[in-house]
Amino acid sequence: MTQAATNNASELMVEMRNVNKWYGDFHVLRDIYLEVKRGERIVVCGPSGSGKSTLIRCINHLEEHQKGEIVVGGIPLTQDVKRIEQIRRSVGMVFQHFNLFPHLSVLENCCIAPMWVQKKPRKEAEALAMEYLERVRIAEQATKYPGQLSGGQQQRVAIARSLCMHPDVMLFDEPTSALDPEMIKEVLDVMVELAEEGMTMICVTHEMGFAKKVADRVIFMDQGQIIEENAPEPFFNNPQSERTQLFLSQILGH
Amino acid sequence: MIHNKETIPQQPAPKGTIGPIAWLRGNLFNGPINSIFTLLGLYVLYLLVVPTVQWAFIDADWIGDSREDCSRVGACWVFVNARFSQFMYGLYPSEEYWRANIVFAMFAGIIAWMVIPRLPFKRWMALFALLIFPVISYVLLHGGYFDLPRVSTHRWGGLMLTLLLATVGMVGALPIGIVLALGRRSNMPIVKTFCVIFIEFWRGVPLITILFMASVMLPLFLPSELSVDRLVRALIGLTLFQSAYMAEVIRGGLQAIPKGQDEAAAALGMTYWKRMGLIVMPQALKMMIPGIVNTFISLFKDTTLVMIIGLFDLLGIVQAALSDSRWLGFSIEGYVFAAFVFWIFCFSMSRYSQYLERKLNTGHKQ
Repeated sequence: MTQAATNNASELMVEMRNVNKWYGDFHVLRDIYLEVKRGERIVVCGPSGSGKSTLIRCINHLEEHQKGEIVVGGIPLTQDVKRIEQIRRSVGMVFQHFNLFPHLSVLENCCIAPMWVQKKPRKEAEALAMEYLERVRIAEQATKYPGQLSGGQQQRVAIARSLCMHPDVMLFDEPTSALDPEMIKEVLDVMVELAEEGMTMICVTHEMGFAKKVADRVIFMDQGQIIEENAPEPFFNNPQSERTQLFLSQILGH
Repeated sequence: MIHNKETIPQQPAPKGTIGPIAWLRGNLFNGPINSIFTLLGLYVLYLLVVPTVQWAFIDADWIGDSREDCSRVGACWVFVNARFSQFMYGLYPSEEYWRANIVFAMFAGIIAWMVIPRLPFKRWMALFALLIFPVISYVLLHGGYFDLPRVSTHRWGGLMLTLLLATVGMVGALPIGIVLALGRRSNMPIVKTFCVIFIEFWRGVPLITILFMASVMLPLFLPSELSVDRLVRALIGLTLFQSAYMAEVIRGGLQAIPKGQDEAAAALGMTYWKRMGLIVMPQALKMMIPGIVNTFISLFKDTTLVMIIGLFDLLGIVQAALSDSRWLGFSIEGYVFAAFVFWIFCFSMSRYSQYLERKLNTGHKQ
């Protein structure tokens, strides 16, 4: 952990209080309470349709919650567009399907937000982009287009693209679910490194090995509710709720 | 059990399956029925092409200045020759042709500059073309400034007018179409309703009706001191009509961009206009090139409709020339010439769009 991170160890990066959301009549998020401190690594798991993606997408307002309160880095999330954009600048997000911009090269994918959102000069943005592409070990592909890369490479570029904005929190929405098995490791390795450097992370993932290795807390969700929340060791060895036990037996049982 | 120790080296394809003769054999002469059809097709082609070439080139008369110079066996291009300057400039006074020629030359220069990839300063050229060139063109063509005699717009015509209508229509319709398409997808109910009504109104009314309204009805409603030039009214009508079509083409393209693109851009903190301008629109426009060019081509040909409000575009002036008693009976030559000129422009647009598509293709979509 860096010095700054240690000093602010008790600082809350994300606070969700009594958050509720509906899609029409369907109650997707029910009374969510979640607090994430600076430097904490949270893994969110649960069966499909349990609302875990929706939960993290509420944090940067890609989805709108109808009830409750979300505070990100001390800024309460409201309808105000300026404020939403301010929060989004400090919250990185990595998507299941990478969502790289196919009309831009790898380097341009990483430069575009620093240049147009943070108004950095091109040279500086490119240097920054190369630094992070180096970090995710893909600098040699900088001039290629996303369509020419494998899934694992694309996802690493997507991580670098987010890091170029120097986010305070990184959100991962099933970052390895769309990858072929042999590519999962290269992405997870990058994520583990990021965690070891002290990045605040909230990951929706089914990679239980990753959870055991880096998570400070594991959250289990079902039907829009947080069912169980615990440190990884007791969570995996001694799950309290029946639904957690059933879920774990299904994904670890083979 | 299978265990291959060595990789099989790459081998050439068997002879007789590649090359032009193999292609002929595989596609045109594979079996007796196809061979018969191929020969039949060649015969029909022969029946069509030979008389056409005979009429248009071999038996045709090119030089002269009256109908007596034509043998009437083949095409009489003398007619087109004699009327050529009218076909180009309409009723523009002949001693002022140089003004139109400068505009033509600048127009061609701008197009060439924008189209040839090697030439630099494209952005400045585009700015010049959009901001300064129209002013220069207006001053030159219309006159009334710098001792240039005035040439009122009812004397403009021919290819000059066709190009003017088409260019203004295209340059105007694309941005208006983009704004309308974004507006129609907007979450703001008032903006959305306005755009839907606008698009559906202009798209649902025939262009002829719009031109008639603009030229006949509008002056009846407007106060007489607020008289707008007939050409300007036609331009506005044409542009708004085409922008409604353009809006729907663009909306189609926008819908094909995955939602994740906008979300990824939003997650990086981009504002709505940056998301649209930097991420969504460039991808959508690339996919929409065929649709946009299709609209442009139909716009180019729709300009001929201004005939009905008394403006003489290329086709209009050709038709007017056909009713000249000295040149009666040369309508085929006139129409062939007009069709050929239209075809040249439309075909160039089509080819350029195909080139653009290839150039902008940056590999597979995600």
